Amino acid sequence: MSSSRQIQVRFFAILREQAGCATVAVETGAPDATALYAELQERFPGLTFPVTLLRVSINENYAELTAPLAPGDRVVFIPPVAGG
Amino acid sequence: MFELTAQPIDGAALSARLRAPEAGALTIFEGRVRNHHLGQPVTQLEYEAFDEMAIREGEAIVGEAESMYPGAQVLCVHRTGTLQVGDVAVWIGVASAHRQAGFAACRHLIEELKLRLPIWKKEHHPDGAAEWVNCSVEATARTAGDDLHSRQSALPEVGAAGQAKLAKARVLLVGVGGLGCPAALYLVGAGIGRLTLVDGGKVERSNLHRQILYTTAETGSPKVLAAAARLRLHNPAVQISIHDGELTAGNARTLVAGHDVVLDGTDNFASRFLIHDACLALGVPLVQAAVHRFEGTLDVFQRGEGGCLHCLWLGRDPAALDTAGNCAGGPVFGPAVGVLGVMQAAEAIKQLLGLGGDAARQTRLVNLLDGSQLSVGRSARPDCPVCARVDRLREMPAPTMTDRGLFVDAAGVRALGASAKVIYLTEPGEQPPAGLPGIAAADLAALRELALQGPLVLACRYGVRSAALARMLRAEGMEAIFAESPKS
Repeated sequence: MSSSRQIQVRFFAILREQAGCATVAVETGAPDATALYAELQERFPGLTFPVTLLRVSINENYAELTAPLAPGDRVVFIPPVAGG
Repeated sequence: MFELTAQPIDGAALSARLRAPEAGALTIFEGRVRNHHLGQPVTQLEYEAFDEMAIREGEAIVGEAESMYPGAQVLCVHRTGTLQVGDVAVWIGVASAHRQAGFAACRHLIEELKLRLPIWKKEHHPDGAAEWVNCSVEATARTAGDDLHSRQSALPEVGAAGQAKLAKARVLLVGVGGLGCPAALYLVGAGIGRLTLVDGGKVERSNLHRQILYTTAETGSPKVLAAAARLRLHNPAVQISIHDGELTAGNARTLVAGHDVVLDGTDNFASRFLIHDACLALGVPLVQAAVHRFEGTLDVFQRGEGGCLHCLWLGRDPAALDTAGNCAGGPVFGPAVGVLGVMQAAEAIKQLLGLGGDAARQTRLVNLLDGSQLSVGRSARPDCPVCARVDRLREMPAPTMTDRGLFVDAAGVRALGASAKVIYLTEPGEQPPAGLPGIAAADLAALRELALQGPLVLACRYGVRSAALARMLRAEGMEAIFAESPKS
Protein backbone atom coordinates (compact mmCIF):
# COMPACT_ATOMS: atom_id res chain seq x y z
CA MET A 1 0.00 0.00 0.00
CA SER A 2 1.54 3.30 -1.06
CA SER A 3 1.33 6.20 1.36
CA SER A 4 -1.22 8.96 0.90
CA ARG A 5 -0.42 11.84 -1.52
CA GLN A 6 -2.32 14.55 -3.31
CA ILE A 7 -3.70 13.94 -6.83
CA GLN A 8 -5.49 16.53 -8.98
CA VAL A 9 -8.53 14.97 -10.62
CA ARG A 10 -10.58 16.30 -13.53
CA PHE A 11 -13.84 14.74 -14.70
CA PHE A 12 -14.90 15.09 -18.33
CA ALA A 13 -18.38 15.10 -19.90
CA ILE A 14 -20.82 12.62 -18.32
CA LEU A 15 -18.39 11.96 -15.44
CA ARG A 16 -18.45 15.66 -14.54
CA GLU A 17 -22.24 15.51 -14.44
CA GLN A 18 -22.28 12.34 -12.40
CA ALA A 19 -19.68 13.61 -9.91
CA GLY A 20 -21.22 17.08 -9.78
CA CYS A 21 -17.87 18.86 -10.21
CA ALA A 22 -15.21 19.28 -12.89
CA THR A 23 -12.14 19.20 -10.66
CA VAL A 24 -11.27 17.86 -7.24
CA ALA A 25 -8.01 17.48 -5.30
CA VAL A 26 -7.83 14.21 -3.37
CA GLU A 27 -5.51 12.76 -0.74
CA THR A 28 -5.23 9.14 -1.70
CA GLY A 29 -3.15 6.05 -1.33
CA ALA A 30 -4.61 4.52 -4.50
CA PRO A 31 -1.82 2.86 -6.46
CA ASP A 32 -3.36 3.42 -9.88
CA ALA A 33 -6.23 5.09 -11.74
CA THR A 34 -8.56 2.11 -11.37
CA ALA A 35 -8.22 2.19 -7.59
CA LEU A 36 -8.50 5.98 -7.57
CA TYR A 37 -11.73 5.78 -9.59
CA ALA A 38 -13.14 3.24 -7.13
CA GLU A 39 -12.36 5.64 -4.25
CA LEU A 40 -13.99 8.50 -6.14
CA GLN A 41 -17.08 6.35 -6.72
CA GLU A 42 -17.40 5.99 -2.95
CA ARG A 43 -17.00 9.72 -2.47
CA PHE A 44 -19.42 10.60 -5.32
CA PRO A 45 -22.23 8.01 -5.28
CA GLY A 46 -23.60 9.40 -8.59
CA LEU A 47 -20.38 8.34 -10.35
CA THR A 48 -21.72 5.07 -11.78
CA PHE A 49 -20.05 5.09 -15.21
CA PRO A 50 -18.19 1.77 -15.65
CA VAL A 51 -14.42 2.13 -15.30
CA THR A 52 -13.90 -0.45 -18.04
CA LEU A 53 -15.15 2.02 -20.66
CA LEU A 54 -12.98 4.95 -19.51
CA ARG A 55 -9.74 6.39 -20.76
CA VAL A 56 -7.41 8.13 -18.37
CA SER A 57 -4.89 10.89 -18.90
CA ILE A 58 -2.00 11.31 -16.46
CA ASN A 59 -0.10 14.60 -16.70
CA GLU A 60 -1.60 15.38 -20.09
CA ASN A 61 -0.81 12.03 -21.72
CA TYR A 62 -3.06 9.04 -22.19
CA ALA A 63 -2.07 6.27 -19.79
CA GLU A 64 -3.17 2.78 -18.82
CA LEU A 65 -5.68 2.53 -16.00
CA THR A 66 -3.08 0.37 -14.25
CA ALA A 67 -0.22 2.88 -14.58
CA PRO A 68 1.20 3.82 -11.12
CA LEU A 69 0.27 7.24 -9.70
CA ALA A 70 2.85 9.64 -8.24
CA PRO A 71 2.44 12.61 -5.88
CA GLY A 72 1.04 15.70 -7.62
CA ASP A 73 -0.16 13.79 -10.70
CA ARG A 74 -2.89 15.43 -12.75
CA VAL A 75 -5.46 12.77 -13.66
CA VAL A 76 -8.33 13.24 -16.14
CA PHE A 77 -11.02 10.60 -16.48
CA ILE A 78 -12.39 10.62 -20.05
CA PRO A 79 -15.53 8.69 -21.04
CA PRO A 80 -16.45 7.86 -24.65
CA VAL A 81 -18.23 10.81 -26.29
CA ALA A 82 -20.00 10.49 -29.63
CA GLY A 83 -22.58 13.25 -29.99
CA GLY A 84 -22.63 15.52 -32.96
CA MET B 1 -43.58 21.21 -63.00
CA PHE B 2 -41.01 22.64 -65.43
CA GLU B 3 -41.78 23.91 -68.94
CA LEU B 4 -40.00 25.61 -71.83
CA THR B 5 -41.95 28.01 -74.03
CA ALA B 6 -41.26 30.09 -77.14
CA GLN B 7 -44.31 32.26 -76.37
CA PRO B 8 -44.32 35.40 -74.16
CA ILE B 9 -44.81 34.44 -70.53
CA ASP B 10 -48.27 35.31 -69.15
CA GLY B 11 -47.76 35.59 -65.38
CA ALA B 12 -51.46 35.89 -64.56
CA ALA B 13 -52.31 32.67 -66.41
CA LEU B 14 -49.44 30.82 -64.71
CA SER B 15 -50.47 32.13 -61.27
CA ALA B 16 -53.99 30.81 -61.85
CA ARG B 17 -52.57 27.30 -62.36
CA LEU B 18 -51.12 27.40 -58.82
CA ARG B 19 -54.39 28.20 -57.10
CA ALA B 20 -54.90 25.75 -54.19
CA PRO B 21 -57.14 26.10 -51.14
CA GLU B 22 -54.43 24.89 -48.74
CA ALA B 23 -51.85 27.36 -50.09
CA GLY B 24 -51.81 30.57 -48.08
CA ALA B 25 -48.87 31.94 -50.02
CA LEU B 26 -48.03 32.30 -53.68
CA THR B 27 -44.44 33.49 -54.13
CA ILE B 28 -43.40 34.54 -57.62
CA PHE B 29 -40.00 35.31 -59.08
CA GLU B 30 -39.69 36.81 -62.57
CA GLY B 31 -36.29 36.96 -64.22
CA ARG B 32 -36.30 39.73 -66.86
CA VAL B 33 -33.99 40.80 -69.65
CA ARG B 34 -31.96 43.80 -68.51
CA ASN B 35 -30.12 46.31 -70.63
CA HIS B 36 -26.63 45.47 -69.39
CA HIS B 37 -24.53 42.42 -68.54
CA LEU B 38 -21.06 42.38 -66.94
CA GLY B 39 -20.66 46.05 -67.73
CA GLN B 40 -21.76 45.76 -71.39
CA PRO B 41 -24.98 47.29 -72.74
CA VAL B 42 -27.50 44.73 -74.06
CA THR B 43 -30.35 45.43 -76.52
CA GLN B 44 -31.94 42.01 -76.88
CA LEU B 45 -31.35 38.34 -76.00
CA GLU B 46 -31.86 35.04 -77.74
CA TYR B 47 -32.29 31.94 -75.58
CA GLU B 48 -31.52 28.52 -76.95
CA ALA B 49 -31.96 25.27 -75.05
CA PHE B 50 -31.31 21.59 -75.65
CA ASP B 51 -35.01 20.99 -75.06
CA GLU B 52 -34.94 17.42 -73.80
CA MET B 53 -31.92 17.98 -71.55
CA ALA B 54 -33.22 21.29 -70.24
CA ILE B 55 -36.63 19.83 -69.39
CA ARG B 56 -35.08 16.81 -67.66
CA GLU B 57 -32.73 18.98 -65.59
CA GLY B 58 -35.48 21.52 -64.88
CA GLU B 59 -37.79 18.79 -63.63
CA ALA B 60 -35.01 17.41 -61.44
CA ILE B 61 -34.47 20.86 -59.90
CA VAL B 62 -38.21 21.30 -59.31
CA GLY B 63 -38.41 17.81 -57.78
CA GLU B 64 -35.55 18.60 -55.40
CA ALA B 65 -37.21 21.85 -54.34
CA GLU B 66 -40.51 20.07 -53.69
CA SER B 67 -38.74 17.51 -51.51
CA MET B 68 -36.86 20.29 -49.70
CA TYR B 69 -40.06 22.20 -49.00
CA PRO B 70 -42.67 19.51 -48.34
CA GLY B 71 -46.14 20.56 -49.43
CA ALA B 72 -44.88 23.30 -51.77
CA GLN B 73 -46.19 23.19 -55.32
CA VAL B 74 -43.79 24.55 -57.94
CA LEU B 75 -44.26 25.80 -61.49
CA CYS B 76 -41.23 27.00 -63.47
CA VAL B 77 -41.33 28.25 -67.05
CA HIS B 78 -38.27 29.28 -69.07
CA ARG B 79 -38.43 31.19 -72.34
CA THR B 80 -36.62 30.32 -75.53
CA GLY B 81 -36.33 32.49 -78.64
CA THR B 82 -35.76 36.25 -78.99
CA LEU B 83 -36.56 38.55 -76.05
CA GLN B 84 -36.47 42.33 -75.72
CA VAL B 85 -35.29 44.32 -72.69
CA GLY B 86 -37.97 44.00 -69.98
CA ASP B 87 -39.40 40.68 -71.24
CA VAL B 88 -39.78 37.82 -68.74
CA ALA B 89 -37.14 35.15 -69.38
CA VAL B 90 -37.93 32.84 -66.47
CA TRP B 91 -41.04 32.61 -64.27
CA ILE B 92 -41.08 30.73 -60.97
CA GLY B 93 -44.17 30.33 -58.84
CA VAL B 94 -44.35 28.49 -55.51
CA ALA B 95 -47.69 27.80 -53.83
CA SER B 96 -47.13 26.90 -50.17
CA ALA B 97 -49.02 26.85 -46.90
CA HIS B 98 -46.83 29.61 -45.44
CA ARG B 99 -44.57 32.36 -46.79
CA GLN B 100 -41.28 31.04 -45.37
CA ALA B 101 -41.17 27.98 -47.63
CA GLY B 102 -42.34 30.08 -50.59
CA PHE B 103 -39.57 32.65 -50.40
CA ALA B 104 -36.93 30.04 -49.63
CA ALA B 105 -38.03 27.73 -52.46
CA CYS B 106 -38.14 30.58 -55.00
CA ARG B 107 -34.65 31.66 -54.06
CA HIS B 108 -33.37 28.09 -54.24
CA LEU B 109 -35.01 27.43 -57.61
CA ILE B 110 -33.60 30.47 -59.43
CA GLU B 111 -30.09 29.80 -58.12
CA GLU B 112 -30.18 26.15 -59.17
CA LEU B 113 -31.78 26.89 -62.57
CA LYS B 114 -29.09 29.47 -63.34
CA LEU B 115 -26.32 27.10 -62.33
CA ARG B 116 -27.54 23.89 -63.91
CA LEU B 117 -29.97 24.48 -66.77
CA PRO B 118 -28.38 23.77 -70.17
CA ILE B 119 -29.64 27.02 -71.69
CA TRP B 120 -27.48 29.49 -73.58
CA LYS B 121 -28.21 33.11 -74.31
CA LYS B 122 -26.95 35.23 -77.17
CA GLU B 123 -26.45 38.79 -76.07
CA HIS B 124 -26.90 41.51 -78.68
CA HIS B 125 -24.98 44.71 -78.02
CA PRO B 126 -25.79 48.21 -79.40
CA ASP B 127 -22.78 48.09 -81.76
CA GLY B 128 -24.32 45.08 -83.52
CA ALA B 129 -21.93 42.58 -81.93
CA ALA B 130 -23.38 39.48 -80.29
CA GLU B 131 -22.06 36.58 -78.17
CA TRP B 132 -23.36 33.30 -76.76
CA VAL B 133 -22.99 32.79 -73.00
CA ASN B 134 -24.15 30.02 -70.74
CA CYS B 135 -26.57 31.20 -68.08
CA SER B 136 -24.31 29.84 -65.35
CA VAL B 137 -21.55 32.25 -66.36
CA GLU B 138 -22.78 34.89 -63.93
CA ALA B 139 -22.46 32.51 -61.02
CA THR B 140 -18.83 31.74 -61.78
CA ALA B 141 -17.93 35.23 -63.04
CA ARG B 142 -18.68 36.51 -59.56
CA THR B 143 -15.78 34.52 -58.19
CA ALA B 144 -13.15 34.33 -60.91
CA GLY B 145 -10.33 36.63 -59.94
CA ASP B 146 -12.40 38.53 -57.38
CA ASP B 147 -11.51 39.12 -53.76
CA LEU B 148 -13.65 36.35 -52.22
CA HIS B 149 -10.62 34.77 -50.52
CA SER B 150 -8.21 37.73 -50.45
CA ARG B 151 -8.27 38.33 -46.69
CA GLN B 152 -7.34 34.66 -46.23
CA SER B 153 -4.67 34.30 -48.92
CA ALA B 154 -3.04 37.46 -47.51
CA LEU B 155 -2.02 35.37 -44.48
CA PRO B 156 1.67 34.53 -44.92
CA GLU B 157 0.88 30.94 -43.86
CA VAL B 158 -1.58 30.64 -46.77
CA GLY B 159 -0.45 32.86 -49.65
CA ALA B 160 -1.34 32.39 -53.29
CA ALA B 161 0.20 28.91 -53.30
CA GLY B 162 -1.84 27.81 -50.27
CA GLN B 163 -5.01 29.23 -51.76
CA ALA B 164 -4.33 27.30 -54.95
CA LYS B 165 -3.90 24.12 -52.88
CA LEU B 166 -7.25 24.75 -51.19
CA ALA B 167 -8.93 25.37 -54.55
CA LYS B 168 -7.84 21.88 -55.65
CA ALA B 169 -8.76 20.15 -52.37
CA ARG B 170 -11.54 17.57 -52.14
CA VAL B 171 -13.09 17.32 -48.69
CA LEU B 172 -15.63 14.79 -47.40
CA LEU B 173 -17.99 15.74 -44.57
CA VAL B 174 -19.99 12.91 -43.02
CA GLY B 175 -22.92 14.18 -40.98
CA VAL B 176 -24.29 17.66 -41.68
CA GLY B 177 -25.63 18.27 -38.17
CA GLY B 178 -24.48 20.37 -35.25
CA LEU B 179 -20.78 19.82 -36.02
CA GLY B 180 -21.10 19.59 -39.79
CA CYS B 181 -23.07 22.81 -40.37
CA PRO B 182 -20.48 25.26 -39.04
CA ALA B 183 -17.61 23.13 -40.37
CA ALA B 184 -19.11 23.20 -43.88
CA LEU B 185 -19.60 26.97 -43.83
CA TYR B 186 -15.96 27.61 -42.98
CA LEU B 187 -14.65 25.04 -45.47
CA VAL B 188 -16.73 26.55 -48.24
CA GLY B 189 -15.82 30.07 -47.15
CA ALA B 190 -12.15 29.09 -47.37
CA GLY B 191 -12.59 28.22 -51.04
CA ILE B 192 -11.86 24.50 -51.12
CA GLY B 193 -12.39 22.89 -54.51
CA ARG B 194 -15.07 20.35 -53.73
CA LEU B 195 -17.09 19.44 -50.66
CA THR B 196 -18.97 16.15 -50.54
CA LEU B 197 -21.81 16.00 -48.01
CA VAL B 198 -23.08 12.67 -46.64
CA ASP B 199 -26.20 12.55 -44.47
CA GLY B 200 -29.46 10.62 -44.75
CA GLY B 201 -31.37 12.76 -42.26
CA LYS B 202 -34.00 15.41 -42.62
CA VAL B 203 -34.14 18.93 -41.18
CA GLU B 204 -35.92 18.91 -37.81
CA ARG B 205 -37.09 21.93 -35.84
CA SER B 206 -35.66 20.58 -32.59
CA ASN B 207 -32.17 20.58 -34.15
CA LEU B 208 -32.18 24.11 -35.54
CA HIS B 209 -30.65 25.64 -32.41
CA ARG B 210 -27.33 24.19 -33.51
CA GLN B 211 -27.74 23.15 -37.17
CA ILE B 212 -27.15 26.63 -38.47
CA LEU B 213 -27.27 25.93 -42.21
CA TYR B 214 -31.02 25.37 -42.05
CA THR B 215 -34.07 27.50 -41.34
CA THR B 216 -37.59 26.65 -40.21
CA ALA B 217 -38.59 26.88 -43.89
CA GLU B 218 -36.61 23.70 -44.64
CA THR B 219 -38.20 21.53 -41.94
CA GLY B 220 -38.64 18.06 -43.41
CA SER B 221 -36.13 18.65 -46.21
CA PRO B 222 -33.30 16.19 -46.79
CA LYS B 223 -30.40 17.84 -44.96
CA VAL B 224 -27.88 17.44 -47.78
CA LEU B 225 -30.17 19.24 -50.26
CA ALA B 226 -30.83 22.18 -47.95
CA ALA B 227 -27.15 22.35 -46.95
CA ALA B 228 -25.91 22.24 -50.55
CA ALA B 229 -28.28 25.04 -51.56
CA ARG B 230 -27.16 27.24 -48.69
CA LEU B 231 -23.46 26.53 -49.26
CA ARG B 232 -23.66 27.26 -53.01
CA LEU B 233 -25.00 30.71 -52.19
CA HIS B 234 -22.18 31.25 -49.74
CA ASN B 235 -19.45 30.50 -52.26
CA PRO B 236 -20.44 29.57 -55.82
CA ALA B 237 -16.81 28.72 -56.62
CA VAL B 238 -16.98 25.56 -54.50
CA GLN B 239 -18.39 22.43 -56.10
CA ILE B 240 -20.83 20.74 -53.71
CA SER B 241 -21.62 17.03 -54.15
CA ILE B 242 -24.20 15.21 -52.08
CA HIS B 243 -25.00 11.68 -50.93
CA ASP B 244 -28.52 11.61 -49.48
CA GLY B 245 -28.02 8.52 -47.32
CA GLU B 246 -25.94 7.18 -44.47
CA LEU B 247 -22.35 6.07 -44.66
CA THR B 248 -22.40 2.28 -44.24
CA ALA B 249 -19.90 -0.55 -44.14
CA GLY B 250 -20.80 -1.20 -47.77
CA ASN B 251 -20.07 2.29 -49.10
CA ALA B 252 -17.55 3.76 -46.61
CA ARG B 253 -14.43 3.22 -48.67
CA THR B 254 -16.11 4.27 -51.91
CA LEU B 255 -17.23 7.53 -50.29
CA VAL B 256 -13.85 8.24 -48.67
CA ALA B 257 -11.80 7.43 -51.77
CA GLY B 258 -10.72 10.45 -53.79
CA HIS B 259 -10.82 12.90 -50.89
CA ASP B 260 -7.85 14.73 -49.37
CA VAL B 261 -9.29 15.03 -45.87
CA VAL B 262 -12.42 13.73 -44.12
CA LEU B 263 -14.46 15.36 -41.34
CA ASP B 264 -16.56 13.13 -39.10
CA GLY B 265 -19.58 14.92 -37.69
CA THR B 266 -21.68 11.84 -36.95
CA ASP B 267 -23.21 11.05 -33.57
CA ASN B 268 -22.41 7.39 -32.87
CA PHE B 269 -19.37 5.15 -32.44
CA ALA B 270 -20.48 2.64 -35.07
CA SER B 271 -20.23 5.33 -37.77
CA ARG B 272 -17.05 6.75 -36.22
CA PHE B 273 -15.26 3.39 -36.44
CA LEU B 274 -16.50 2.81 -40.01
CA ILE B 275 -15.28 6.22 -41.19
CA HIS B 276 -12.04 5.88 -39.27
CA ASP B 277 -11.25 2.45 -40.68
CA ALA B 278 -11.97 3.56 -44.24
CA CYS B 279 -9.70 6.60 -43.80
CA LEU B 280 -6.96 4.50 -42.22
CA ALA B 281 -7.14 1.88 -44.97
CA LEU B 282 -6.93 4.56 -47.69
CA GLY B 283 -4.43 6.81 -45.85
CA VAL B 284 -6.75 9.83 -45.78
CA PRO B 285 -6.43 12.16 -42.75
CA LEU B 286 -9.52 12.26 -40.56
CA VAL B 287 -10.71 15.11 -38.33
CA GLN B 288 -13.12 13.83 -35.73
CA ALA B 289 -15.09 15.74 -33.12
CA ALA B 290 -17.71 14.61 -30.61
CA VAL B 291 -19.81 16.48 -28.11
CA HIS B 292 -21.60 15.69 -24.86
CA ARG B 293 -23.79 18.61 -23.74
CA PHE B 294 -21.26 21.40 -22.92
CA GLU B 295 -18.07 19.46 -23.64
CA GLY B 296 -16.36 18.02 -26.65
CA THR B 297 -13.32 16.20 -27.98
CA LEU B 298 -11.30 16.84 -31.11
CA ASP B 299 -8.93 14.32 -32.71
CA VAL B 300 -7.00 14.28 -35.93
CA PHE B 301 -6.10 10.78 -37.10
CA GLN B 302 -3.37 10.38 -39.65
CA ARG B 303 -1.81 7.08 -40.55
CA GLY B 304 1.55 6.67 -38.85
CA GLU B 305 1.03 9.43 -36.29
CA GLY B 306 -0.32 9.35 -32.76
CA GLY B 307 -2.11 6.05 -33.08
CA CYS B 308 -5.62 5.37 -34.24
CA LEU B 309 -9.13 5.18 -32.82
CA HIS B 310 -8.55 1.50 -31.96
CA CYS B 311 -5.39 2.38 -29.98
CA LEU B 312 -7.48 4.85 -28.06
CA TRP B 313 -10.21 2.39 -27.12
CA LEU B 314 -8.28 -0.88 -27.21
CA GLY B 315 -10.05 -3.67 -25.37
CA ARG B 316 -13.33 -1.77 -25.19
CA ASP B 317 -16.19 -3.27 -27.17
CA PRO B 318 -17.22 -0.73 -29.87
CA ALA B 319 -20.89 -1.63 -29.31
CA ALA B 320 -20.57 -0.91 -25.58
CA LEU B 321 -18.85 2.41 -26.38
CA ASP B 322 -21.70 3.13 -28.76
CA THR B 323 -24.24 2.49 -26.03
CA ALA B 324 -22.34 4.56 -23.47
CA GLY B 325 -21.31 7.46 -25.70
CA ASN B 326 -24.39 8.07 -27.81
CA CYS B 327 -26.44 11.14 -27.12
CA ALA B 328 -28.59 11.40 -30.24
CA GLY B 329 -31.84 12.98 -29.21
CA GLY B 330 -30.33 14.13 -25.91
CA PRO B 331 -29.78 17.69 -24.77
CA VAL B 332 -26.87 19.62 -26.26
CA PHE B 333 -25.47 23.14 -25.85
CA GLY B 334 -25.57 24.67 -29.34
CA PRO B 335 -22.33 26.67 -29.11
CA ALA B 336 -20.46 23.53 -27.96
CA VAL B 337 -21.05 21.71 -31.27
CA GLY B 338 -20.51 25.07 -33.00
CA VAL B 339 -17.06 25.56 -31.48
CA LEU B 340 -16.02 21.95 -32.09
CA GLY B 341 -17.33 22.04 -35.68
CA VAL B 342 -15.36 25.21 -36.40
CA MET B 343 -12.27 23.62 -34.83
CA GLN B 344 -12.76 20.67 -37.20
CA ALA B 345 -12.82 23.03 -40.17
CA ALA B 346 -9.66 24.72 -38.86
CA GLU B 347 -7.82 21.39 -38.52
CA ALA B 348 -9.00 20.22 -41.95
CA ILE B 349 -7.83 23.44 -43.63
CA LYS B 350 -4.52 23.20 -41.75
CA GLN B 351 -4.08 19.61 -42.95
CA LEU B 352 -4.60 20.77 -46.54
CA LEU B 353 -2.07 23.59 -46.09
CA GLY B 354 0.51 21.44 -44.31
CA LEU B 355 0.04 23.38 -41.06
CA GLY B 356 -1.20 20.40 -39.01
CA GLY B 357 1.63 20.48 -36.46
CA ASP B 358 1.04 18.16 -33.51
CA ALA B 359 -2.70 17.89 -34.11
CA ALA B 360 -2.53 14.19 -35.02
CA ARG B 361 -0.73 13.34 -31.77
CA GLN B 362 -3.26 14.65 -29.26
CA THR B 363 -6.87 14.73 -28.17
CA ARG B 364 -8.22 18.15 -27.35
CA LEU B 365 -10.79 18.31 -24.58
CA VAL B 366 -12.97 21.41 -24.62
CA ASN B 367 -15.35 22.46 -21.85
CA LEU B 368 -17.67 25.37 -22.72
CA LEU B 369 -19.08 25.47 -19.20
CA ASP B 370 -15.88 26.40 -17.37
CA GLY B 371 -13.97 27.59 -20.45
CA SER B 372 -11.17 25.07 -20.02
CA GLN B 373 -9.20 23.40 -22.80
CA LEU B 374 -6.76 20.57 -22.36
CA SER B 375 -4.57 18.70 -24.84
CA VAL B 376 -3.86 15.07 -24.04
CA GLY B 377 -0.91 13.45 -25.82
CA ARG B 378 -1.80 10.39 -27.88
CA SER B 379 0.55 7.76 -29.21
CA ALA B 380 0.31 4.57 -31.23
CA ARG B 381 0.16 1.31 -29.34
CA PRO B 382 2.59 -1.26 -30.69
CA ASP B 383 0.06 -3.98 -29.82
CA CYS B 384 -2.82 -2.30 -31.70
CA PRO B 385 -4.45 -5.00 -33.82
CA VAL B 386 -5.47 -2.44 -36.44
CA CYS B 387 -2.99 0.39 -37.12
CA ALA B 388 0.05 -1.71 -36.27
CA ARG B 389 -1.06 -3.97 -39.12
CA VAL B 390 -2.57 -1.40 -41.44
CA ASP B 391 -1.47 -3.27 -44.55
CA ARG B 392 -3.70 -6.15 -43.52
CA LEU B 393 -6.58 -3.75 -42.90
CA ARG B 394 -6.33 -2.59 -46.47
CA GLU B 395 -6.76 -6.14 -47.71
CA MET B 396 -9.51 -7.05 -45.28
CA PRO B 397 -13.05 -6.88 -46.62
CA ALA B 398 -15.01 -4.05 -45.04
CA PRO B 399 -17.03 -5.31 -42.06
CA THR B 400 -20.72 -5.76 -42.63
CA MET B 401 -23.37 -4.39 -40.36
CA THR B 402 -26.28 -6.65 -39.63
CA ASP B 403 -29.01 -4.06 -39.63
CA ARG B 404 -31.25 -6.08 -41.95
CA GLY B 405 -34.63 -6.41 -40.27
CA LEU B 406 -33.28 -4.75 -37.11
CA PHE B 407 -36.10 -2.26 -36.77
CA VAL B 408 -39.70 -3.27 -36.21
CA ASP B 409 -42.87 -1.23 -35.78
CA ALA B 410 -46.01 -2.25 -33.87
CA ALA B 411 -47.20 -4.54 -36.68
CA GLY B 412 -43.73 -6.07 -36.87
CA VAL B 413 -43.84 -6.85 -33.15
CA ARG B 414 -47.20 -8.65 -33.53
CA ALA B 415 -45.77 -10.60 -36.48
CA LEU B 416 -43.03 -11.95 -34.19
CA GLY B 417 -45.68 -13.96 -32.36
CA ALA B 418 -46.91 -14.31 -28.80
CA SER B 419 -43.53 -15.34 -27.37
CA ALA B 420 -41.92 -12.03 -28.37
CA LYS B 421 -41.16 -9.64 -25.52
CA VAL B 422 -40.91 -5.86 -25.73
CA ILE B 423 -38.54 -4.44 -23.12
CA TYR B 424 -38.07 -0.74 -22.40
CA LEU B 425 -34.49 0.27 -21.57
CA THR B 426 -34.41 2.75 -18.73
CA GLU B 427 -31.85 5.35 -17.79
CA PRO B 428 -31.01 5.89 -14.12
CA GLY B 429 -34.09 7.50 -12.56
CA GLU B 430 -36.31 6.84 -15.59
CA GLN B 431 -39.53 4.81 -15.37
CA PRO B 432 -40.76 2.73 -18.33
CA PRO B 433 -44.02 3.87 -19.99
CA ALA B 434 -47.16 2.28 -18.53
CA GLY B 435 -47.69 -1.31 -19.64
CA LEU B 436 -44.08 -1.93 -20.72
CA PRO B 437 -41.65 -3.93 -18.59
CA GLY B 438 -38.44 -1.97 -18.04
CA ILE B 439 -34.86 -2.98 -17.51
CA ALA B 440 -31.80 -0.83 -16.85
CA ALA B 441 -29.93 -0.17 -20.11
CA ALA B 442 -26.68 -0.88 -18.30
CA ASP B 443 -27.76 -4.34 -17.13
CA LEU B 444 -26.27 -6.31 -20.00
CA ALA B 445 -26.33 -9.63 -18.16
CA ALA B 446 -30.10 -9.45 -17.66
CA LEU B 447 -30.58 -8.43 -21.31
CA ARG B 448 -28.52 -11.38 -22.56
CA GLU B 449 -30.55 -13.72 -20.41
CA LEU B 450 -33.83 -12.34 -21.80
CA ALA B 451 -32.47 -12.57 -25.33
CA LEU B 452 -31.96 -16.32 -24.91
CA GLN B 453 -35.62 -16.85 -24.00
CA GLY B 454 -37.17 -15.87 -27.35
CA PRO B 455 -37.65 -12.93 -29.72
CA LEU B 456 -36.78 -9.68 -27.95
CA VAL B 457 -37.71 -6.16 -29.04
CA LEU B 458 -35.81 -3.32 -27.36
CA ALA B 459 -37.34 0.10 -26.94
CA CYS B 460 -36.08 3.29 -25.33
CA ARG B 461 -36.85 6.96 -25.12
CA TYR B 462 -35.23 8.06 -28.39
CA GLY B 463 -34.66 4.75 -30.14
CA VAL B 464 -30.88 5.20 -30.30
CA ARG B 465 -29.71 3.23 -27.30
CA SER B 466 -32.12 0.37 -28.07
CA ALA B 467 -30.76 0.14 -31.62
CA ALA B 468 -27.16 0.17 -30.38
CA LEU B 469 -27.84 -2.57 -27.83
CA ALA B 470 -29.77 -4.65 -30.37
CA ARG B 471 -26.79 -4.40 -32.75
CA MET B 472 -24.46 -5.40 -29.96
CA LEU B 473 -26.50 -8.47 -29.04
CA ARG B 474 -26.75 -9.43 -32.71
CA ALA B 475 -22.98 -9.05 -33.00
CA GLU B 476 -22.71 -11.52 -30.12
CA GLY B 477 -24.57 -14.02 -32.27
CA MET B 478 -28.14 -13.65 -30.99
CA GLU B 479 -30.53 -13.60 -33.89
CA ALA B 480 -34.04 -12.84 -32.68
CA ILE B 481 -33.16 -9.34 -31.47
CA PHE B 482 -34.98 -6.29 -32.74
CA ALA B 483 -35.25 -2.60 -31.95
CA GLU B 484 -38.36 -0.49 -32.00
CA SER B 485 -38.25 1.84 -35.01
CA PRO B 486 -36.64 5.15 -33.96
CA LYS B 487 -39.08 7.97 -33.25
CA SER B 488 -39.12 10.51 -36.04
